[in-house]
Amino acid sequence: MTSTAHDVGALADFGERGARRVQVGRHAIVVVRWDDEVYALRDTCAHQGAPLSSGTLCHHVTAAAAGAPIVLDPDSRVLRCPWHGWQYDLCTGRSLHATERARVRTYPARVADGRVYVDLG
Amino acid sequence: MVTTALPEADARTDSHAKTQFKLIDADVHNYVNSIDELLPFMARRWHAYIEQSGFDGPGGNVFPRLYEYAARRDSFPPSGLLPGGDPDFARDQLLDGWGIEAAILNPLYAVSALRNLDFSNAIARAVNELTAARWLDHDPRWRGSIVVNTEDPDAAAAEIRRAGRDPRFVQLLLIVRAVEPYGRRRYRPILAAASDMGLPLGIHFGGDPGPITATGWPSYYIEDHTGMPQAFEAQVLSLVAEGVFETFPDLRVALVEGGFAWLPALMWRFDKNYKGLRDEIPWLKKLPSEYIREHFRATTQPMEEPDDPRHLLQIMDMLGRDDFLMFATDYPHWDFDAPDRAVPPIVPDDMREGIMAGNAAAFYDFDRA
Repeated sequence: MTSTAHDVGALADFGERGARRVQVGRHAIVVVRWDDEVYALRDTCAHQGAPLSSGTLCHHVTAAAAGAPIVLDPDSRVLRCPWHGWQYDLCTGRSLHATERARVRTYPARVADGRVYVDLG
Repeated sequence: MVTTALPEADARTDSHAKTQFKLIDADVHNYVNSIDELLPFMARRWHAYIEQSGFDGPGGNVFPRLYEYAARRDSFPPSGLLPGGDPDFARDQLLDGWGIEAAILNPLYAVSALRNLDFSNAIARAVNELTAARWLDHDPRWRGSIVVNTEDPDAAAAEIRRAGRDPRFVQLLLIVRAVEPYGRRRYRPILAAASDMGLPLGIHFGGDPGPITATGWPSYYIEDHTGMPQAFEAQVLSLVAEGVFETFPDLRVALVEGGFAWLPALMWRFDKNYKGLRDEIPWLKKLPSEYIREHFRATTQPMEEPDDPRHLLQIMDMLGRDDFLMFATDYPHWDFDAPDRAVPPIVPDDMREGIMAGNAAAFYDFDRA
C-alpha cells in the first residue's frame, strides 16, 4: 500500500454487506463492504450532513418507461442516506438524482491480507 | 435589499425574438348561448332526448359569483346574447378595441360533468363544431380549443383526432378540477391523441367534480377563486410524476388562469422530495423542475399583484425562463386583465414583448400558420 493508505480494520469485522464509520485522523469515512468489494466515501451526506454510515445499501431502482415494471439493477451498488434518502453510487460518489451536482468524495479502498485499506491521498 | 436583476436573456431563451405578432390573448371565452345553438350539430336522437328532458346545459354554480355570468358589466352585448356569446360584439370590444391579433377561445361548457357519456360526447363534438362555424369562420384572429368529455378517454381521443384536423384549433382544453389528475393512466388515450395531433393541453381554471379543496367544500366564491392553484399544483405534480413527458416527449401544457407565483415553490418542493423519493417514480430521467420548465407555460391572468412590483419580477425570474408567461385577458370575465395595464412597467421591454405575444406565438406555433 502507499504511504497514505490506512489500515481501517479486518475485513471480517465489516460483515458481508454493511456500512461502518471509521475515523482516520480528522477524516470521518464510511467504509462499505459489499460481498468481497470494499468502498470508502466521506461519511457526510452532501445535503444536510447526515452520517451515511447510518444509511442503507440498496440497488438502483429503474423502469424502462413510465408505468413499466419497476426493477432493481443487480449490477448497481447504492448507499442511501439515513435522513432524506439521497442515494449515492458507491463507485463514484455521485448522487442518482444529479450526478454532476451532488456527490460525496470517494477514496480508493482495497483488501490486502484480510485487512481493509483506505487511501486518503 | 431587494434586487431585480435577471439572468442574461440569451442564456435562458430566445423564443420571443422573432414573431410578427405584437398582442396575443391566450384566454378568451366563447359561450354557448343556449342548447338550441348546438342542435344543428347533433343527431336527431339527441334532439328528442333534449326536448324530452328539458336539458338546457350542463353544470350549475354552487358559489354565486357576485358577477352575473362572471362577466364584466360592459360585456353584455346589445344583441341580448350572453357575454362572450356574440362574435361580432366580442370582435369589436376585444379584438378591435385592443388591437389583439390572435385570441385563443376556451369554451367553458362543462361537458365532462355530464354522466351520460354518449350524450356528453355528442355535446362535446357539437361545441367544437359550433366554435368552428360561429367563431373560427367569423374572424381569422380567433383560434379554437377543443373540448372533450375526459371521462370517456377513448371517445375523447377520437374527437381530438377529428377536430384537430382543423388547424384553427390550437389546443385541447381540459378543466383543472377533474375527477382525477390527468397524469393518471386512464387518461393516456387523451394525452396520446393530443401529442399525436401536436396540440398542447390547455389546463384551465374551474370545475367542481367534487369538493374543490383537498379539505372539503369552502363557503365562498373568493375561496374558490383564490384557492384555484391547489388544483393546478395537483395537475402539474401528476403529469410530471406519472412520467407523461417521458411517454410523450413532445407534449406541452399551458396552465391557463391559474396564476404562476406558486410555481417556484412547487418546483423547489417537488425537486427536494424527488431526491429522496425517486425510487417511487424511477421513469423520471431528470429533476421535476426540468420537466416543468421544458413542457409547461402559464398565462398571466389573473396577474399576480404584489404590493411591491419588484417582487413580481423576482417571481418571474424564479420561473427560470423568460418565455414562460403568455398574456391573457380572460374576456369577458369580471377579472379581465387589460393589455396596457396588467403587466407592470417594471417588466423589461424585451420580456414584456415576449409575454404580450412572442411566447404564445412560439408555444402555439402561430408564425408557421
